[in-house]
Amino acid sequence: MSARPYPEVLLELARENPAVVGLAADCSGCLASLASEFPDRALDLGIAESNLIGVAAGLAIRGKVPFAHGMAPFLTMRSFEQIRTDLGYGHRNVKVVSAACTGLTGGVYGPTHHAIEEIALMRLIPGMTVLMPADAWQTEQAARAAASLPGCVYLSLASGDVGLDESGRTFEVGRAELLRPGRDVTLVTTGVATAGALEAAETLAAAGVSARLLSMHTVKPLDVEAIRSAARETRGLVTVEEHSILGGLGGAVAEVMAEWACPVPLRRVGLPDVFAWKTGGRESLRRHYHLGAEAIVAAVRDLLGTAITETPEKQP
Amino acid sequence: MIGSSEVLVPELEARARAIRRRIVEMAEAQPCHIGGSLSMAEILAVLYFHVLRIQPEQPDEPGRDHFILSKGHATPALYAALAERGFFSPSELKTFLDEDSRLPGHACTKTPGVEVSTGSMGHGLSIGLGIALGCRMDRSPSRVYVLLGDGELQEGSNWEAAMAAAHLDADNLIAVVDRNRYQASALTERLCSLEPLSERWSSFGWGVASVDGHQVSQLLRAFRSVPCRKGRPTVILAHTVKGKGVSWVESGGGWHFGRFSPEQASRALAELRA
Repeated sequence: MSARPYPEVLLELARENPAVVGLAADCSGCLASLASEFPDRALDLGIAESNLIGVAAGLAIRGKVPFAHGMAPFLTMRSFEQIRTDLGYGHRNVKVVSAACTGLTGGVYGPTHHAIEEIALMRLIPGMTVLMPADAWQTEQAARAAASLPGCVYLSLASGDVGLDESGRTFEVGRAELLRPGRDVTLVTTGVATAGALEAAETLAAAGVSARLLSMHTVKPLDVEAIRSAARETRGLVTVEEHSILGGLGGAVAEVMAEWACPVPLRRVGLPDVFAWKTGGRESLRRHYHLGAEAIVAAVRDLLGTAITETPEKQP
Repeated sequence: MIGSSEVLVPELEARARAIRRRIVEMAEAQPCHIGGSLSMAEILAVLYFHVLRIQPEQPDEPGRDHFILSKGHATPALYAALAERGFFSPSELKTFLDEDSRLPGHACTKTPGVEVSTGSMGHGLSIGLGIALGCRMDRSPSRVYVLLGDGELQEGSNWEAAMAAAHLDADNLIAVVDRNRYQASALTERLCSLEPLSERWSSFGWGVASVDGHQVSQLLRAFRSVPCRKGRPTVILAHTVKGKGVSWVESGGGWHFGRFSPEQASRALAELRA
């Protein structure tokens, strides 16, 4: 069975826990399934993200478990202070859910609709859990985990395909999912950037470079042990994210490696410190700003200090 | 906390005086938000000693009413009211702003009786709306009271909340505006005017009651009239004087923030006793 669409997952969570309520800032689609069965527990408050988060905080005070949905850039930036103060400082059991425009998925709609800061902002908040699933399966697992995890969670929905069926996969908050084993280099990725990292790993394999692929769906708390193992067992790490290279996954991994005086190098693939000004679809932006599979391969080449040629992958 | 108005009004006036005396004592001990605390003494007296259904010994009781101090800087008044009401001993007021005190500069849930941490302007009304909606989902008769500063109404988030609360018919939500006319650095009307304030709330779909915020009987009448527009949230515009009760503070722009010297504190206490 393939993973279900998020609105159905939310409905199921609401059936399991009568305290679950759905809120939105003009994202009624997320609430559609919930509203059809529990109309009193689904409330779209209109284009007012600050109010959305404040209302969610208030509902949490009454023991509800609000899932508050909005579009990533506006949800994380317009209401940042409400998330930080009313939810974070307030220790509220609220799930902040980005329903659209994560990373560069806003594409041609321009930098107003790109969320290049969402990880940096959300992980700054003490006590916040930051979940950036890679595909529909991880999204369902993350939503379930968020519902049962007391406290404030940021969840960025994703529906991408990372080429894996469900069998044998496990999801645990704070534990990276190994999507692909490897011994030469480790790609650490998160959220919607995962498909590109997978493509790069395949290209590298064809060139004889064995790349480990870690899906860091939980950016906070970060799976430090997976990073340390990667640093011990491969020759370097490359972080891959659809986010500014400042403060996001790359920043988080760099913090761990620097304080540990890690012996292997790090490269960060992400949006350089610019707005994605060019008009273009998501794939075009990824290529232009050097976040696509080619850029990842180039970063690996740079890190390993070797030319990568098209040779068959060696067996261990 | 029930009584005939002949008994109730003087009793609440006495509570307001006691709150003011404690504010003066705190303002002698520490620099703090004096004027906006003094202006809301009657509002808190009426809320904490008559209107709010709360039990200090059981602060989380599900049937309770909720209070949010959206103007979270006015902690001297809040702490005075909470101590008077029995959430903690009045002797603890001496620890105000001390190292490791439960009574910090802005309202925080570490203080017994404080349910929402505030301090940044324009947060309280949305949170109050969320609580009100939660009460409605639970079919609870609880009400939610949010005390707003007038200056903070310049924050747009209040109007997001006001629009939503009226749209959602949140008639269990009551906002009280401490309309003392001053914000931190000037008169509200000089920096960014709020008037016509009553019409603004009314046009957002709220029931509006305008009262003299230092007249206990008027406040009581306004709270008894809730919801003053059927099915709608209520706002009580409490017209007050910043620094009320201390003559030279009243005439000196209300002392948004400051500290009393021992001599000023004893003069203020003498005025409050008179």
